[in-house]
Amino acid sequence: MSEQRPNASGRTDGPQDTSDEPSLEWLGELKSDADDPELQPVDPSVTQAFEAMLEEEEPAVPPASPPVSGQVPPATGQAPPANGGPVSPELSSEFARALAEEGAIGPSSPTADPTRTTPDLNGSGPFQQPDGSGPVQRSSGPFGMGAQPPLGSGTGPQPAVGTGPQPSVGSGTGPQPAVNSGTAPQPVVGFGTGPQPAVDFGTGPQPPVGSNTGPQPALGSGPHPAATAEGQGTGPQSTIDAEHPLGGPVTGPLPTATPTGPQPTVPPTESQPTATPTGPQPTVTPTGPQPIVTPQGPSTGPLPPLGLRNLPESGPQPAIGGQGSGPIPVVDGPGTGPQPVVGGPGTGPLPGVEGTGPQPALSRGRRIGMGTGPQPSIGHGTDTVAIAAASPERSQPYVELGMNDEEYQRVREILGRRPTSAELAIYSVMWSEHCSYKSSKVHLRQFGEKAPKTDALLVGMGENAGVVDIGQGWAVTFKVESHNHPSYVEPYQGAATGVGGIVRDIMSMGARPIAVMDSLRFGPADAPDTQRVLPGVVAGVGGYGNSLGLPNIGGETVFDECYAQNPLVNALCVGVMKHDEIKRAVAPGPGNRVILFGARTGPDGIGGASVLASATFDDESEQKRPSVQVGDPFMEKLLIECCLELFREDLVVGIQDLGAAGVSCATTELAAAGTGGMHVELDAVPLRDETLRPEEILMSESQERMMAVVEPGKVDRFMEICGRWEIPATVIGSVTDTGRLVMTWRGETIVDIPPGTAADEGPVYQRPYEPPLDLGALQADTPGRLTRPSNGDELRRTVLWLAGSPNLASKTWVTSQYDRYVLGNTVLAMPDNAGVVRIDDESGLGIALSLDGNGRYARLDPYSGAQLALSEAYRNVAATGARPLAVTNCLNFGSPEDPGVMWQFARAVEGLADACQYLGVPVTGGNVSFYNQTGTTPINPTPVIGVLGVHDDVRRRVTMSLTSDGAAIALLGETREEFGGSEWAHVVYGHLGGLPPLVDLPAEVALAGVMVNAIREGLVTAVHDLSDGGLSQTLVEACLRGGLGARITLPGDPFVSLFSESVARAMVAVRPGAEARLAALCEAAGVPVTQIGVAGGDALSVSGRGAEGEPQELFSIPLAELREAHERMLPTYAD
Amino acid sequence: MDAARVGVITFPGSLDDRDAARAVRLAGAEPVALWHADHDLQGVDAVVLPGGFSYGDYLRAGAIARFAPLMTELVAAAEAGLPVLGICNGFQVLCETHLLPGALLPNAGLHFVCRDQRLRVENADTAWTSEYREGQELVIPVKNRDGRYTADRETLIELADSGRIVARYLDLNPNGSLDDIAGICNEAGNVVGLMPHPEHAAESLTGPSTDGLGFFTSIVKRLVNA
Repeated sequence: MSEQRPNASGRTDGPQDTSDEPSLEWLGELKSDADDPELQPVDPSVTQAFEAMLEEEEPAVPPASPPVSGQVPPATGQAPPANGGPVSPELSSEFARALAEEGAIGPSSPTADPTRTTPDLNGSGPFQQPDGSGPVQRSSGPFGMGAQPPLGSGTGPQPAVGTGPQPSVGSGTGPQPAVNSGTAPQPVVGFGTGPQPAVDFGTGPQPPVGSNTGPQPALGSGPHPAATAEGQGTGPQSTIDAEHPLGGPVTGPLPTATPTGPQPTVPPTESQPTATPTGPQPTVTPTGPQPIVTPQGPSTGPLPPLGLRNLPESGPQPAIGGQGSGPIPVVDGPGTGPQPVVGGPGTGPLPGVEGTGPQPALSRGRRIGMGTGPQPSIGHGTDTVAIAAASPERSQPYVELGMNDEEYQRVREILGRRPTSAELAIYSVMWSEHCSYKSSKVHLRQFGEKAPKTDALLVGMGENAGVVDIGQGWAVTFKVESHNHPSYVEPYQGAATGVGGIVRDIMSMGARPIAVMDSLRFGPADAPDTQRVLPGVVAGVGGYGNSLGLPNIGGETVFDECYAQNPLVNALCVGVMKHDEIKRAVAPGPGNRVILFGARTGPDGIGGASVLASATFDDESEQKRPSVQVGDPFMEKLLIECCLELFREDLVVGIQDLGAAGVSCATTELAAAGTGGMHVELDAVPLRDETLRPEEILMSESQERMMAVVEPGKVDRFMEICGRWEIPATVIGSVTDTGRLVMTWRGETIVDIPPGTAADEGPVYQRPYEPPLDLGALQADTPGRLTRPSNGDELRRTVLWLAGSPNLASKTWVTSQYDRYVLGNTVLAMPDNAGVVRIDDESGLGIALSLDGNGRYARLDPYSGAQLALSEAYRNVAATGARPLAVTNCLNFGSPEDPGVMWQFARAVEGLADACQYLGVPVTGGNVSFYNQTGTTPINPTPVIGVLGVHDDVRRRVTMSLTSDGAAIALLGETREEFGGSEWAHVVYGHLGGLPPLVDLPAEVALAGVMVNAIREGLVTAVHDLSDGGLSQTLVEACLRGGLGARITLPGDPFVSLFSESVARAMVAVRPGAEARLAALCEAAGVPVTQIGVAGGDALSVSGRGAEGEPQELFSIPLAELREAHERMLPTYAD
Repeated sequence: MDAARVGVITFPGSLDDRDAARAVRLAGAEPVALWHADHDLQGVDAVVLPGGFSYGDYLRAGAIARFAPLMTELVAAAEAGLPVLGICNGFQVLCETHLLPGALLPNAGLHFVCRDQRLRVENADTAWTSEYREGQELVIPVKNRDGRYTADRETLIELADSGRIVARYLDLNPNGSLDDIAGICNEAGNVVGLMPHPEHAAESLTGPSTDGLGFFTSIVKRLVNA
C-alpha cells in the first residue's frame, strides 16, 4: 500500500524530502548568514551530540513507509468501505450541527421530490470530466448507483425531520434558515420526511443509504482526468477508495515525506522525552517573563519558600528569609521583568562579589517587595561584565527566559564567561523563535534557493522587507506580519500595535507607507468569545490605521472553529519610494551617531516578543495582560512624517524600527550589519518610567520608536527636524569598528558581545516532523458522501445559504470601519478582487495587492494548501489587470515542537517555494507565527499569502461589478468536481475531508495572461475570480456589487458548476463586440472559455439541466433577496 | 490673473491635507501648505481645515488644534470674512473654536464609519456651495469616528430657520447626527463645516463620484469673480 502514500505528500513529486537529511551544512547557506564565518550553525559539540542522538534514536524511529498502514488505523474505521460502518449516526449528528449553525429548527422537512433532478448520475459533471467519475467507485457503493450518486433523500445527512433547516418546501423561505423554514440545501425536500429512505430506491428506511456507501467514490473521485500533470501525484482521493475498499484509503495518504520520523537535529539535547528537551520554548513561563525562580530549577541553594510567581520584588534581592543563600535571582516585579539578572535559583555565594551573602539590589523605590532584608548593593545592583567574569558559577534564569541548556551554554562559549543579566536578556530575545526563526530557518531558505530569476528584486529577503522594482524609477516594499497572540489577549491593542509594527518595518526601508491590509481569522461567528475578539480586533486595526492616514485596501475575514482561542491577525503594509531612496538596517562608519527617536521607553510588553509569541494559551493567559503593548498612532503618524523628511534630506545612513525585542534587536542588528561595532550608553535612553532597569530597557517593546545611524555633521539637522515634529530624539551611542556591541550603564559595562552572534547566529533547529496521525483518515473522508442539492429549489437555497454564511457573507461591517479613501490614491479596495493603489498621478503607474489563505485546504494537504493560497492571490491580482510580480507571506501554524505541525509547516513552505518558482514571483519576505494552538490542538495550518502586482496604468483597471446590461458573461477555465475543503461542505455539513482542489499552476499562468491582456485591450467590463464558494459566490458578488442581475445557463451538472472550487477560473463580462477577440485570446492561451449567460435584470436567474437532462430554469433570486442574505450575517453577530 | 490661492492647514495628525490640496488643484486653484505652528496665513484667499486626528484627538476631537498658533490668525480672518471650509476634523476644530455652533460627538454606533454617503445640498448660497443647486443630491464619502452633530434645541431651530444647514444625510444617517445634519455654516456663509469628505469625491478613478469637486470650484469661482 505504500504506493498510495502519494496522497499526503501530495501531489508533489520530487525531492520533497531533502529536508530529511539532518545535514547541518545547510545552515551555512542561509542568506543572511552566508558571509559569516562564525555561523557554523552548530558547534562541534552540538554536532556530536546530535550524531550521538541519532544513533540512539535510529532504532526507535519507525521506518519510513512501513508504518504507514499501521499508523493510521483509525482511518479505516472512518472510511467505511462499501457497506461499511454506521455512517448514518455520524452523518446525522453532523447534519444536526449544520442545522444548529444555521439556527434552524424547522420541523418541517419536506422530502425530496424524488429528487434526482440530476441526471448526471455520476455526479461528476460529465461535460467536464468525460469519464471523470470512474465507474469504479460505483461498484463500491451498495447501490447500483444507476441513479445519482448521492442518493437523494434517503441519504445521510438528511435532516431528520424537525431539524432540518430546510424549509418545508412550500414555505421556501429565504436563505437563512429561518426557523421553521429552514433553508438547507438538503436535497431532501419533498414529501417524506425524516430519515427517509431513499425514495427511489426504496431501499428500506435506512437513512444512511447514500452515505453508507462509504466514501462515496462516485463523487469527487475518479481519477481526475484532465487533472494533474503526471508528476502531480496520483489522482485525488478516489483512486484509493476504489482500489481499496477496505482501509485502503487510510493508508494511502501517508506521505512519503519525512519517513524518518522524528529526527531532531540540532538540539543535541536529549533525544528522549524529558522535560524541556528540544523545545527551546519554555513551556514553562506561561506567565510571562518573570524569572520566577522556581524550585524546579536545577538550583540547589536554600530556596526560601516564597510564593513564587508573586514576588513583587525587583532587583537582585537578598534571599528572603535571610537564608543567606546566594542571591535570589528573583529580579523584578510581577509582570515586568524578564530580566534574569543575577544568580540562579538559590545558587551559592557569589565569588567575586564581596561578601557574597545576600545580594543587593537597589531597593528601588516603588518596588519594594517582599524583599525586606538588608539589601547591600553591588554597584548599582547591576550585573556587570566584570562581575560576570568573576562569578562564572552563578546560575541564571535562562529557562524562564525561554532558553534551553544548550542555548545557554552556547552563549557562555561565545562570551567565554557567563553572560551578564543584560546580555542574557539580549540573547534570550534574539534567539527566541520569534526573532531568530530557529525552527523555520531550515525550511525558509528554500525561498532563496528556489527564487525565480527576476530583475524586479532590488532588496531580497533578510532586510526588514524586500523591495521590488515596479518601473519608472519607483520601488515598492511590502510585508505581512502576524500579531496573533497579543490580539487574543487584548484584541484592540494587539491588533493596533500589529499594524503599527508592520508600518514601521516599511518605513525602515526608506519608504512612505501607502496602504495597509489585514487578514483576520476568528472562531465561529456566533461564539461568545468571537464577539469579544472580533469587534476589538477590527476596531484596533481601524483605530490605528485610520489614525495614521493609511487606507485599508483589503484582506480577509474568516471564521472557523480552529481559531476559537487562536485568532489570527496578520497585517500587511506596502510602501513606495524612488530607487535611490532605499534605506537599509545597517550601521556603517565608525564615529557615526546612533540616535533613538520616537516614543520614550516604558515597561511595555517586556518580554512580549519572546514570551507572548511563544507560549501556548491556556488558563493563565490572563496573567499576560500587562505584556501587551499599547499603541499611540498619533506618535506613529508624526514618526512617519518625520522620517520622510529625514529621508528627503538624506540624513540617515542606516535605520531600523524597534519592534519585538526593542533596543536589543535594533542595536544588534544594526551593528551586525554595519561595521560590526557599536557603543551604547543605555542610561541615555529616554524613559517614561525612570525605574526601569537596563534589562527592561533592552527588552521593552514600547511602540513608535526608531533607531537611526547618522553622520556626526548631520546630527544637528536631524534633531531640528525631529523637533519640528515634536519627536524626542536622543543620541545614545556611536558606531565603532571594534566588532563588539558594548553597552554601559552608569559608567559600568554591562554588555560586551559580538553582535552577530545575537542577531544572525542564533540556534537553528531541524525539528522532527511527520504527517499528523489523523491525516489519512481526514483525506479518506471525502465529501463524496455528502448529500447534494438536487433540484432547482434546493440549489437556490444553497446559493442563499452560502452567500449568507460567515466566510462568504459581505464583510462590509468590517471594512466600513476602515478608511479606504485617505491619501486619495485608492483605486480599488475591498471587496474587489484586490486592492489597487495609484503610485504616480501622471503616468497612472500603480500596484495591486491581494492577501489570501485557506486553512481548510492546508489542513487537508499543506503543500497544496500553500499553493492554493498563492494561486488565489495571484489570480486576484491579475483579475484587476495587474501583472503579478512578487510575494510575501505570513505562515501561521501550531507548535513546531509537534512533529505533525512541523510537517505541515515544512510541506507548506516547500509548496509555496515550488509554486513561486514556477510562477516566477519571488518571495520578498514574510513572517512565521508558531504556537497557534490551544493545549495540544493546533489551528489549521494557515499560510496567508500576499501577491503584489503592477499596473502600468491603473486607469485601465477593471472591477468585479456587473454593470453593463446585455454584456455576455463567460467563464474562463475548467470546472472539475472538487469539494474537498470547500465552503459548501463546510457551511452545510461542517465537513472537512478529502483533498483540496488540484493545483494547476500552468492554468493559473494562462488565465492570468488572458485576464491581463483582455483588460489591457479593453475586451471586458468586469472580471471576478472564482474561489471559495465557486461560481455561485462569484455571481452573487458580481451582481450585488454592480447592482445588476444576470441570466445564467449552467453548462454541466448544476451543483458542480455552481459550487465546485476548481482553481484557475474567472468570470468575465465581455464588452459587446469583443467576444471573438476574447475567444481568440483564450484559445491562444489554452484557456477554456464558455459563455454562460448575459448580464441584466434585477435577479440572478439560473438555468441548467433538469432532472431529465432537459434545459430548464432552475431558480431565480431577486437581487434584493440576495443582498439581504449576503449583508445581514455579520452585523447580526458582531453588533 | 493668478490662480486663487487656497491654504490647507496641516496640524500634527492631519491626514487628508494632501488630498484637500489635490482637490484644490483639480478645481483650478493653487494649494498653499500652512503649518499649524506658524503665525502666518501667507495671504491666502481661503483656507481648508482638513480631516484627520489632530494631535491624536485623544482628548476630544479638535479640542487641542483649536489652540494651535495659526488658529489665532485664522479665527480673526474668518470673522473678517475669509472663506474657511472645515472638513471632518476641520469641522470639529471649527466647532471647538466657536466659529460654528454645536459639537461633534462620537458616532452613535461607536464605530468609525466609512461609506459612500448620499447627501442633499440644503444651502447653495454659501461661499463653498454656490456651484450646486439647492436640493441637489450628491454621493460623497463620509469617514469619521466623531461625526454626530449635536447642538441645543434653540441652536438647531435657528440653524434650520436661517438656512444654515448646508447639507443633510439621505437614506441613512451614518453617525446619529441630529436632524441628519452633515454640514452647517456661520451666519455670513463664509465658514462651512462639513463632515463628509468632498476632496475624496473629486476624481472618478479614486472616488465614488466627482460630486465633491463643487465645493472647491465654488470657492475658486467666487475668488476669481471677486
